[in-house]
Amino acid sequence: MNDVVRPVMQDAVAAAPTRVDGRDKVTGRARYAVEHPVEDVVWAWPVTSTVAKGRVTEIDASEANGTEGVIAVLTHANAPRLGETDDAELQLLQSDRVAYRGQVCALVVGETVESARAGADAVRVRYDEAEHDVVLDARHPAMFTPEKVNPGFPTDTSIGDPDTAFAVAAVQLDATYTTPTEHNHAMEPHATTASWGADGTLTLYDSNQGSTGVARVMADLFGLQVRAVHVISEHVGGGFGSKGTPRPNIVLAAMAAQAVGRPVRLALGRQHMFSLVGYRTPTIQRLRLGATTDGVLRSLVHDVWEQTSTLDDFAEQTAVISRMLYAAPARRTTHRLVRLDVPTPSWMRAPGEAPGSFALESAMDELAAACDLDPVELRVRNEPDVDPESGKPFSSRNLVACLREGARRFGWEQRDPTPGVRRDGRWLVGTGVASSTYPARTAPSQARMSIGSDGVVTVELNAVDIGTGSRTALTQIAAEAMDLPTDRVRLRIGDSTLPPAMIAGGSMGLTSWGSAIVKGARQLRELVGRRDGAIPEDGLEVTADTAEEVRAVSGYARHAFGAQFCEVRVDADTGEVRVPRLLGVFAVGRVINARTARSQLVGGMTMGLSMALHEEGVVDVQHGDNVNHDLAGYHIAAHADVADVDAMWLEEHDEHLNLVGAKGIGEIGIVGTAAAVANAVHHATGVRVRDLPIRVDRLLGRG
Amino acid sequence: MSGSVTVARSLDQALDALRSGPDARLVAGGTDLMVEVNAGRWQPGTLVSVDRAPELRGWHRDGDEIVLGSGLTYAEMERGELARLVPALAQAARTVGSPQIRNAGTLGGNVVTASPAGDTLPVLTALDAVVQIAGPEGTRISPLREFVRGVKRTDLRAGEVVTAVRVPALRGAQEFLKVGTRNAMVISVVMVAVVVDLDGHTVRVGVGSAAPVPVRAPLAEEYVGALVDWERARMDDPTGEVAAQFGELVAQATSPIDDHRSTAAYRRRAVAVCAARAVRRAFQEPESP
Ligand SMILES: Cc1cc2nc3c(=O)[nH]c(=O)nc-3n(C[C@H](O)[C@H](O)[C@H](O)COP(=O)(O)OP(=O)(O)OC[C@H]3O[C@@H](n4cnc5c(N)ncnc54)[C@H](O)[C@@H]3O)c2cc1C
Repeated sequence: MNDVVRPVMQDAVAAAPTRVDGRDKVTGRARYAVEHPVEDVVWAWPVTSTVAKGRVTEIDASEANGTEGVIAVLTHANAPRLGETDDAELQLLQSDRVAYRGQVCALVVGETVESARAGADAVRVRYDEAEHDVVLDARHPAMFTPEKVNPGFPTDTSIGDPDTAFAVAAVQLDATYTTPTEHNHAMEPHATTASWGADGTLTLYDSNQGSTGVARVMADLFGLQVRAVHVISEHVGGGFGSKGTPRPNIVLAAMAAQAVGRPVRLALGRQHMFSLVGYRTPTIQRLRLGATTDGVLRSLVHDVWEQTSTLDDFAEQTAVISRMLYAAPARRTTHRLVRLDVPTPSWMRAPGEAPGSFALESAMDELAAACDLDPVELRVRNEPDVDPESGKPFSSRNLVACLREGARRFGWEQRDPTPGVRRDGRWLVGTGVASSTYPARTAPSQARMSIGSDGVVTVELNAVDIGTGSRTALTQIAAEAMDLPTDRVRLRIGDSTLPPAMIAGGSMGLTSWGSAIVKGARQLRELVGRRDGAIPEDGLEVTADTAEEVRAVSGYARHAFGAQFCEVRVDADTGEVRVPRLLGVFAVGRVINARTARSQLVGGMTMGLSMALHEEGVVDVQHGDNVNHDLAGYHIAAHADVADVDAMWLEEHDEHLNLVGAKGIGEIGIVGTAAAVANAVHHATGVRVRDLPIRVDRLLGRG
Repeated sequence: MSGSVTVARSLDQALDALRSGPDARLVAGGTDLMVEVNAGRWQPGTLVSVDRAPELRGWHRDGDEIVLGSGLTYAEMERGELARLVPALAQAARTVGSPQIRNAGTLGGNVVTASPAGDTLPVLTALDAVVQIAGPEGTRISPLREFVRGVKRTDLRAGEVVTAVRVPALRGAQEFLKVGTRNAMVISVVMVAVVVDLDGHTVRVGVGSAAPVPVRAPLAEEYVGALVDWERARMDDPTGEVAAQFGELVAQATSPIDDHRSTAAYRRRAVAVCAARAVRRAFQEPESP
């Protein structure tokens, strides 16, 4: 480990290149999935089930078919048959079975989006309704142990005898925390324009986080060769994980285009997004921490209960964070899952770490109080020397440096730990802290790099920019690796015919793509060097593949770290919570572009703030539905809720990561935020809220 | 689906267009109506757009009263001379939606929608507003407390247009407080308007989101009205007991419900807190310059 810990200042942000596609985006020249001009195009709109479980007995499309502008109504009775894939949610209109409320049971194609919607309203569906079961309960009799948790972690882990260690511990904390269903709502909904060529090829403009995999799945579903499927995702308006795999929109658009023989556009409505694009499972988490009176952990047990659908087992890796964040000689993590009549949960920014950190980092705060210790100090005392479960050394681990630097900048030293005693007029004031962490991973990717006789370098790989700034950062990486100014680099991404690459997900887009580019640049420069710099008329080209580098076993545990500090003000009479200040200090390896990096971290923290105070999918037990399935009812933080959110990072050199030296920053910002807020609320009011979101009535109802 | 839009350039054109059929419906800012359309609760038939009808726009003084055109937008309510004349309305307007909604949404739309969470309604209720209506049979007036009949139900009849809302121009402080589950773009959990009439020696309170319709709290009003020193426009309440008692009495006048936004118990408590705060602010010493 050779980490130099020096905070990076704001001038780095100011000096960073601005987005290469910024002008195109603000002028509207950048085209999104349903904006590409296509001749003779029509629109589709899904009809979704209004019962949570049962069978469709009849679909009466006569009125819909008679609606002006309606071209076709697809149902399980007449829709094209699909091939098998491992995502049961994509077997659309293949059977009469209803597995959850809001599942697609018909699709209306119309000349305009309005006529398609009007047609969809006119479709009458009858059901043979069965009794549904939509409520997560830790004691649910159908709880089972999933084979693994997302994306491939062991379900349970155990070291030593945590029960005995807990039983004999001087200080014991046993608390249960819950997080609600949370939904992804990227600005651009899941959207596709699909057209079939006369030669049977399928062209798809689609909003996704990686079209290499999308093309493969579409080929399997429609019985095509992968090379007959062309997916173009030039600009994508956000995803947060929900566009990491193909979603119903692309399959339905392709089916509809096949059925009507014309290109079809389909952009899901906001309300569809509450059931059709995955969401974060609600979680129930029990934390047992046993410690010495000095706050040194002797036992750490994190048990999780969560839900999946009857279609597919998706198990969020909620307790995985407790496997590596703190030292404890005896420890255990478990995950239990129940299949309910609900849509299949899926990835949402920092799956696992986001809800898991709320429980673990709230519990650590409770333990600090029980041991009469400063919460920063408690964390420092439980800093492990090596990864507690694998025994591997950390490639770099600057959690303590982040905590200390954050404490210094935030003004933590003067903090009086007594809860509920600081008052400013009607406001109770408090501060809280939590740790952040996220795995630093890299996945195999390829990049094709060529140099022309004019000296311009063209970089081609199927990366994608979902609004994060990756197009800008990759251009910088390529320019640096080629030792050229950025205006001598042409970057092509977002097209499935380009060399295959990792998705924009798991915080490993940039590290994976960047590594392929760095490797390609080395190969290209070597090639140019061998010719003494003479570049032939038709240029030189290489294709780099990082599969080998990625496969090479690492002797290190690789994670990014951070610390978040939060100030809250709680209205003593109404319980309204305001967050005037949120500061994150991170250690994330090398930062390529300070401007876009800061934006990712601040964005993650803002989403964490939203998770702390607002986001809550309310289950309609009677109808098996979400009570709040629009953005009027499902609240995310508004501008007025977000005051001073700031993020900075420590300079960190880590040679054991990848060819770029970066750890990935897409997700760590949301990890720990909700706990920092809840801990600050406790400090302000003396009320410990263990159930998210921190609603006013929850604050006043107890205390 | 087929529909048409008539852009009425006068009140008469609007009334004529409404006669075209039973499915004809007025649209002002469209910020409530389009939500209904998007949710599939209403299929647009004939729409009569009234935002270009000059009779419904703006506001003017009429003796001791202020005539607020039904087409008055929140953006117009929140500033200028009108904000000085009816400050509680301006405060309420500032809490509505986002700038886009405040530029489009209108007072008439808020009143006719008659949602328990309509933000102008507690203010208008405290002011004893009167709704002016034009219809096939001529014009009529309807006091707001009679006009709003229940959750999203009004006394408006087929073919009628709300032309204006009349409120008194009062001397005295006005306050509007709202509690929501976030800081903007929020459906109110509760709101309270307090209006002081220094000449009539009354304190009036309107409460929203705490009953099917906006409510007044006569007992609370009488209680506090009797304790105000009307000469000095001050309320002697060094310990805050009077304000607290006022808040309790206001809360007793409500009948809130539990829903996914909040609980009845919380709503009752928040009403008491907001009412107490509002009355304290209304009578606090003017800040020394
Ligand atoms: C994002 C969003 C946020 C919002 N936030 C708030 C908020 O914070 N507080 C709040 O109170 N409301 C809020 N609303 C609701 C809405 O903006 C208000 O109720 C607004 O005042 C409606 O006015 P409008 O002109 O848009 O009405 P429209 O939608 O045009 O009309 C509403 C109804 O009134 C009828 N109508 C309109 N004008 C007349 C008239 N002159 N005579 C007779 N009938 C008429 C229409 O036929 C229709 O039935 C919000 C809405 C949205 C979409």
